[in-house]
Order: sequence, then C-alpha cells, then structure tokens
Amino acid sequence: MYGDLQALTSALTQLAQPVSILLLVGGIVTGLVIGILPGLGPPIAIALALPFTFYLDTVPSLILLLGIYSAAIYGGSISAIAVGIPGTGAAIATVQDGHKMFKAGQGGEALGFSLTGSIIGGLFSVICLALISPLLAQLAAKFGPREYLAISVFGLVVVVRVAGQSLSKGLLMGGLGIFLTTWGLDELNGTERYTFGSYHLYEGLPLVPFLVGLFAMSEVMIGAERALTKIEFSQASLAVRLPGFRQLANMKDVLLRSSVIGTIIGIIPGEGAAVGAFFAYSEAKRKSAHPEKFGTGIPEGIVAPETANNATVGGALVPTLTLGVPGSPAAAVLLGALLIQGLAPGPRLFAERPDLMYSIFIGLFLINVLMMFIGLVAIRFAARLIMVPTSIILPTVMLLSFVGIYSVSNSFFNVGVLLGAGILGYVVRKLGYSIAPLSIGFVLGPILENALRQSLTIADGSVSEFFNTPIGLTIYAVLLLTILWERIISFFKRR
Amino acid sequence: MLTQRLANIVFTILIVIACVWFGMIAQGFEASGLLASSGLPSKFFPQLLLAFTAVCALIVGGLYLFKGQAGNDAGETVFAGFAEARRGLLMMAVAVACYFIWKHYGFIPMAVIIGPLSLMAMGVRSVWQYVIVLALTGLTYVVFTRLLNIQFT
Repeated sequence: MYGDLQALTSALTQLAQPVSILLLVGGIVTGLVIGILPGLGPPIAIALALPFTFYLDTVPSLILLLGIYSAAIYGGSISAIAVGIPGTGAAIATVQDGHKMFKAGQGGEALGFSLTGSIIGGLFSVICLALISPLLAQLAAKFGPREYLAISVFGLVVVVRVAGQSLSKGLLMGGLGIFLTTWGLDELNGTERYTFGSYHLYEGLPLVPFLVGLFAMSEVMIGAERALTKIEFSQASLAVRLPGFRQLANMKDVLLRSSVIGTIIGIIPGEGAAVGAFFAYSEAKRKSAHPEKFGTGIPEGIVAPETANNATVGGALVPTLTLGVPGSPAAAVLLGALLIQGLAPGPRLFAERPDLMYSIFIGLFLINVLMMFIGLVAIRFAARLIMVPTSIILPTVMLLSFVGIYSVSNSFFNVGVLLGAGILGYVVRKLGYSIAPLSIGFVLGPILENALRQSLTIADGSVSEFFNTPIGLTIYAVLLLTILWERIISFFKRR
Repeated sequence: MLTQRLANIVFTILIVIACVWFGMIAQGFEASGLLASSGLPSKFFPQLLLAFTAVCALIVGGLYLFKGQAGNDAGETVFAGFAEARRGLLMMAVAVACYFIWKHYGFIPMAVIIGPLSLMAMGVRSVWQYVIVLALTGLTYVVFTRLLNIQFT
C-alpha cells in the first residue's frame, strides 16, 4: 500500500476539504461533550452520529466518527477526575487517583496528566496502526475459512472472559448474540430462517439499529433510574496545568508500557478501552517502586489508564480494518458505519481503497494533535456540562436514536428493532450480564457461521482439519495461552 | 425487592424455553431444489447455537439455584429501590408508547410528548427542564427535516 503517491495525494486532498476539517473539529467537540456526560460512552456517541454519516462522503464521515471515538474516551476522564463519576467505562480506573488529586487541590495537574497521557497513547497507537495494518492485511489476504473461524473464536472467547465476573453469563450472551444473526435468508442456499413471514427479516436483524438499541436505548432506561441523583460539584470552571518535560521524562516507562499495553489490548478482537485502562493501571502499580501509593492520588495512577485507553483506539482499528473483526464494542459500531458507506472491511479494502486507509491514518493522527488544543479549551466549559441534569439528556438521546435510525432507512421496522434491542439490553444489564459479548457476537456471527460451514465442507466433516493450518493453529495456541496465562504464572511462582 | 437470584432463575428458564421453541422451528428449515444438497443444512448453525445458549443458561440457572450467585452477586437485588425500579420501567414504557404513537398518529405527536413523558417517568418537577427538553426536541426536528431533508411520516 505504501508508496502509492496518488492515493496519498488523494487522501490529503480529501482531508483538506473544509467539510472534512469542520467535521474533524466537530467530531472532537462532540466526543468530548458526550464523553464528559456520565453514562454516555464512545459506542453511544458513535451510534448517535451514525445516521448523519449516511449523508456524507466516506472520508468526512469516518473522520467525524474517529474524532468522536477518540475524544469520547478522553472526555470520560474529565468527569472522573472532577466529580469521581467516570464519563465512560474506560475512565473507571482513572477515578481512583484522579479524583483524589482533585480533592487535594491538584485538579489542574490531574487534568493535565490525563490530557497528555491520552494524546501520547493515541499518537503511539496511530503509528502502530499505520505500521501493522498493511502487514496484517497482506497476511489476512491468505486467510481462508479456517483462519477466519479461529479469529472469530479468539475474539469471542477473549471478550467473554473479560466481560463481567461470570464466565457462563458471558458465554450465554455471546451465544445469544450469534444466534440472533442466524435470522434471515441463509446466505449459502437461500433458506428462510426465522423470518416469520416478514420480508423485513429477509436480510436478518439490521446491525446498526440493533447496536444503537443495545447501547443507547438501554442506557436511557438504566440512566432514568438514577436521573435524579444530584452531582456534588462546586467548581465554576476547571483549569489545566500541563506537565513539564521533566515530569513526563520521569514517567517515560509508564507512558511507553501503557501505550504498548493499550495498543495490544485494542488489537485483540473484542476487548475495549476499559480493559486496556485497568490492565495498564495494574501493571503500573506492579512495576512501581511505591505500589502502596496507587489509589491515594498520584500522577502515575492517571497517566497509566489514560494513556492505555486512548491507545486502544488505534489498536482496535487494526482488526476492524484488516479482518472486519471489531477490536472493541465501539469499533463494532464503527464497522456499521463502514457498511453504511458500502465498504466491506477486510484485506481487500487496503488494495482497493488505499486513499481511504491513508485518510484514516493521517486523520487519526490529526485528531490526536488537535485534541490537545481543543481539550484545553473544552475543559474550561466541562464544569457546566457536568452540571447538566441527566433527565434532560436522556429524552434527547431517545429521540435522537428514534429519528436517527428512521432516517437511515425510512423504516419503522428498524425503529422496532432499535426498541427491541434496547429492552433486551436493559433487561440483561439489570440481571448482571454484560452487553459487550452480545454486541461482539452479533457482529462476528455471520463471519463465524460462514467460516464454520465452509471449513466443515472443506474438511469433509472432520473437526481435526480445523487445526491443520499453521496460522489457525497459532491463533488457537495464543488463545490457549491467554486462557492459561494466570495459571502458568502462578505455577512458576510456586516453584 | 426482586433478588438477582430469583430474577436470573426465571430468566434462564425463559431462555431455555425459547431455545427449545426456536430449535423446533429450525427443524423446518429446508432448502429446495439443487441447493438442498449443498453444504451443511441451514438448521445446523442455529441449532448448534441454541444448544450452546441453553447449556449456558442451565449452568447460570444452576449456579443461582444451588450456590445463590453467579459472579459475586449473592444477596443483591435487581433494582436499588422501588423509586429506581419505577423510573426505569416507566422509561421503558415511554419508549414503547412513543413507538406506537409514532406508528399510529405520526411523528409530530410522538416528538411533542416524548420529552414531557420521559421527564414525568423520571419524576422531574422542574418546569424549566420541560421547556429545555421541548426546545431540544424542536432543534432535533429542524436539524433532521431542514438540514438533512428527512420526511417523517
């Protein structure tokens, strides 16, 4: 892909269009606002913006969504630090030290560390994305059904393992998510499956309404329960104090380690920013000379999770773009945006649309740089946003979900799917299930079914043939290693 | 209050019943003509997934029945209190009601009442919140109809 000057020029031209620049800034501002508002995370932010992309060209629409994605993850840290309520799941780890620093009168420093860490993590992951994606795409071009089966199984198992505290509950949700993708005409032989006589179901349950319902509508119902909870916050405005180079140099190990962790966690299909943040936080604590100080309000406790959660953005795009397998729930919604644009993410996309890939890499780089400046300004207004009552936000989110989904397809059926998915999401979340395996299962389902059926046909029904491929075998081996990792470590520690 | 234990046992029973029902429907999936003999039958994957889901549901149900928990939620309730339960369930009812109002009476009646109904469901009494929500509804309507040229029925 690299070396295609024509594609590079085309990408730069598209990014330099006033619409693209406007949407880039607009995406960052929107992402920051939604990230700051407690409860509304990146998947909801992207889902609410999806209908607008229907009316935009591919590059501006992706720039808008990527801006929202990156900024929403960072925005969550502002309310985490200022009021101790994480705006997003990715900022939960930041609360522990961030809010303690804020209460100790070091709020400006805490916000500065969070912003700087987020930018560094984001930039690091973009560079990794640009370097790894073309190589993985070349490798993925050689993938057959058995390799795709292995990747899908890998993604599902990993997301189930990290979602919630019960493995069986995660597996149940994963299974349910995949089952729901079997509705509609069978792609291989045209058999009607669970269409219930409705032509609306011939193409199965639509992806975008299902995901928007699952994330946004269920959040409206959950949020309504605690809508009257008052937020204690006395600051009229917030100010940032950026850390100096010497302070950053002292934390170079934490920054580098967290960037690497975030990027790798992002690349693993199905894992999200919250997992990356927690993992980086626990690693920073483990490697620290003063682990007992973590949780008492120290900069490392902010820098580690914030660097890692923004590093997951670039990482999550690696499998999304090269394999069509989402790296996180937010990337699953982003995948829906690519499908709306008529694009099929996968190795062929790199060969067919190198200009688009350049636009994504350069656009994401610019987003992270601009986020530094916009973030500095936005934090000053964050206090007012934090004080906005949830009861005002929720009806607006519900209306936006309704009209947004309707506007994409002019279909009441899709609004019904949105509502159904919202109720399903609400019920399962109330019962202590995570919706991450459900959403990832819903995205991976068709890939998994096609890969499984083709693999079984090729192997003439022999399951052992699934492992008779070096790439597939490697993926299963890595999966086994991740499952047994903790036991292996504890075994060697005992010896 | 409704405990996680009871709610999850009921939920897993419903899941198992649904799996059996969908599994029986899947028995009727038949491809016709030349495609009938191509590859695995259409019912294979749905039934595989249904069996998997049902087994998981039985395990979850069993955990709640015999251990009282699945994932450190022993003794927990589904809702924090009656007020929270009322607000959440009423919001769900508002969403369903708005869908049917839109379907039967048109977009504008739905858009006008979605905000006030939601605020009432949440128990909001502040008048200015009603005014702001209505203003935001108007703004959303203008953006979609004027800027994006969407025609709502």
